[in-house]
Amino acid sequence: MENQDTPQIITHIEHNLNHSLFDCKWIPCSAKFVVIGSLPKGSGTIEIFEITSGEVRKIREIERPNSFKCGTFGASSDVERRLATGDFKGTLEIWDLEKSTQVYITKEHTDIINSIDGMGGSTVNCGAPEIVTGSRDGTIKVWDPRQRGKPVVNMQPVQGESKRDCWAVAFGNSFNDAERIVVAGYDNGDLKMFDLRTMSLRWECNLKNGVCCAEFDRKDIPMNKLVATTLEGKFHVFDVRTQNPAKGFAQVMDNTTKSGTIWVARHLPQNRDIFITCAGNGQVSLWKYEYPEQRYRTDDKGAACGVPGKLRRLQRMVVSTQPINALEWNRDHQGLAVATAYDQYVRVLVTTKLNLQ
Amino acid sequence: MEKAFEIQKQVRDNVKTFQTYLTDLENWEAEMKRKEAALNGVFEQDLPPVRSKLKKEKPVVVPKKKEPRISSFDYKSWDKFDVDKACEDVEMEEVGPVSLDSKKSQQAKLEKLREEAQYEKERGNTYVKNEKWDEAISCYSRAIELVKDDAIYFANRGLCYLKKDSLHQAESDCTEALRLDPTYVKALQRRATARERLGSLRAASHDLNEVLRLEPHNHAARKQLEAIKARMGTKGSKSKASPSTTPTIESKPIITAKTTPKIVELPDEPTPVQDSTEKWRTGAGEGITVIKTVKKPPHLRSKRPLKNIPIQEIQLGKTSPEKPPTRLKIIELEDDLAHGDSNNNESKSEKDKESRITEEKGKGDMTEKIVSGSPESVKLNSDTIVTEKNIKNLVPPVNSVQFMSEWKYLKGKGDARSDYLSIIDPSKIPSIFENALESDVLSDVLTILHANVGKFSGKGVAAYLQAMCRVKRFGALAMFLTDSDKKILTDLLHHCKTVEKLNDEAIADLKNKYEI
Repeated sequence: MENQDTPQIITHIEHNLNHSLFDCKWIPCSAKFVVIGSLPKGSGTIEIFEITSGEVRKIREIERPNSFKCGTFGASSDVERRLATGDFKGTLEIWDLEKSTQVYITKEHTDIINSIDGMGGSTVNCGAPEIVTGSRDGTIKVWDPRQRGKPVVNMQPVQGESKRDCWAVAFGNSFNDAERIVVAGYDNGDLKMFDLRTMSLRWECNLKNGVCCAEFDRKDIPMNKLVATTLEGKFHVFDVRTQNPAKGFAQVMDNTTKSGTIWVARHLPQNRDIFITCAGNGQVSLWKYEYPEQRYRTDDKGAACGVPGKLRRLQRMVVSTQPINALEWNRDHQGLAVATAYDQYVRVLVTTKLNLQ
Repeated sequence: MEKAFEIQKQVRDNVKTFQTYLTDLENWEAEMKRKEAALNGVFEQDLPPVRSKLKKEKPVVVPKKKEPRISSFDYKSWDKFDVDKACEDVEMEEVGPVSLDSKKSQQAKLEKLREEAQYEKERGNTYVKNEKWDEAISCYSRAIELVKDDAIYFANRGLCYLKKDSLHQAESDCTEALRLDPTYVKALQRRATARERLGSLRAASHDLNEVLRLEPHNHAARKQLEAIKARMGTKGSKSKASPSTTPTIESKPIITAKTTPKIVELPDEPTPVQDSTEKWRTGAGEGITVIKTVKKPPHLRSKRPLKNIPIQEIQLGKTSPEKPPTRLKIIELEDDLAHGDSNNNESKSEKDKESRITEEKGKGDMTEKIVSGSPESVKLNSDTIVTEKNIKNLVPPVNSVQFMSEWKYLKGKGDARSDYLSIIDPSKIPSIFENALESDVLSDVLTILHANVGKFSGKGVAAYLQAMCRVKRFGALAMFLTDSDKKILTDLLHHCKTVEKLNDEAIADLKNKYEI
């Protein structure tokens, strides 16, 4: 049970907004975050909040005719801090938040962009700044903010294959300028791993339920672990260090919580083995992945085969009455997180004692 | 009890931790705000290239340096640009801080200069592409000032001088390039061109030989060399007087690369070596008229259909039997004109025209005759051939179509027509024409008969006249005979009466038929 070192999850600030919220992101190098949402009349909003002594204060708001769905700062440097957003119509925009204007607009997707991820903006020697978007139109496109208009990579089902709604995309394995991987989750439970260096599908599997979120524990290291969450309260943790030609990656699956859809999983920036999952019943759970003694063994054919570890739940807490659809840890301050939920609240969560784990 | 205490302690503990955390958070917030305010400086990052543009990006990296100061299109500013000063600046920049470690700085400085020179060369190359020789020369000169031991800069500047016809400078630049790199084929070729144009053919051929030694398959060089040799043959003694070649340089080993086609220019007036095939081609000394192909752009070509001209072999040495072509349009080009055209001979693009080359015994005095490819002249030529043909090859027609085609073909050649007519058996005439005799043909026939009465003496003009009358619908045709035709007929009848002793009855009958 609980002991002295058990982390505590506390809702530090709760702020009610009168519209739907879809995503929230910390602005790098600041105590501010953006909340991306949609007004009842259908227009989209980007709001910037700042936390000051236990309160949030709205300092800017951008409203545009189309609802925004998701956003990321991943491809922007810490100085420019430009937000890339995807909207319901399939438009990718990059915003200069200081001036409240777009610096990049392109509409190559024909349907809603469900998920977006960026990387390369603030890292050094970890590849070009790039943004990946996954859309209901079945395609995944990779963008470079320096190349206008056209994606640098476009992944779509071959002609004749049915188009699946892509719900989740994430970068990873970008440990040098050449390597980079995109992992994508689809509504039918497919999880696909694309290698951008070789431009090939590296691996795929089906998780039986629609994949709501996928995330590598770190983007800028040789890929280590991958978490994928699905409907029906399940999530899978893959050890992606060791790929067996036959069995693929070792995985451990958790479906103990019976909490409905797990909307999002986020790794702690300060500790890659700890991650949080946010469930449909408004509960957040803090997990720790415990490695096995040997991460891989050699199977009877002489090929390396990964060995799954164990999952330990550190803490759980119901913080909302509705599903929590987005959460992000603060990069600069351990234990600080911002989350949005369908109860139209944006919350700043605090998790203590993470350093003790 | 223990348990309760424990829980209580834990709760208190947690609250304390949380309080600490919040204090931390507040401090952090303040710090972040301060930090954020300081985040103003421009943040330059060395980013990897955009995916899929990986290949392109590389060469662009070097030239960054001077760009912001003077745009590359601002030639005036560049003209004023003081290279020495720039070099000094560069040196100072490099030497200044690192001067303690002299070896290192030297290295770095050289690197820097090289980079700079390379950049100048790139710019020069761009100018060359745009054919801006002067700008290019100044770029290369700057590059040479920066790095004195690169053959490429000299050779490139040499090319520019060559293009500007500054031949002496071109030569000396190439020589310098070759001093640095004796196997630099391009420089060799450029020098050869320069020397050739300077008139020092021997030195030029030397260079080209060297090129060929280094690159045996260099066609441009081979061609050029041949041309030079030809020239040397024609004005051998002159070449000795060639001005600027230093023999010492010539003797040096030299190398050439494939020339860009631009560089190698063929000598202005190549005098073709007259070998046997050449002779054969011009027909020199054989008393033959050679009809050469003439190349015309498509829009200037005749629209008329090509005429079929049978080619007949005539033994050499046999004099052509017939009279010169009767028509007036034969154009004979003067010999020297023909020479000027000789370039055209090379292009044998149009086979059909070539096939018209006919051999014919000409009058001995003519060695060359060029008949321009225009349709008239071609026809002229065919005329002469046709006459020959008439004598031997004509076959009597069996129907009006054959007759008409041949008749039309022989149009304008009275002799040929009379020959043709004479081989037709008069008794067959009605069956040949059936009902297809036209009045103009009839009058033509009459004219021919009248003009060449002698030829028809064997069969008798009267026989022809009578035969014509038997052609169907002749009565109608007779009505269209013109006065001149009737005059001719009268003459013919008189001839029949007097020479062929036709009886009066027959004459009267004919007169009646021809409605005289």
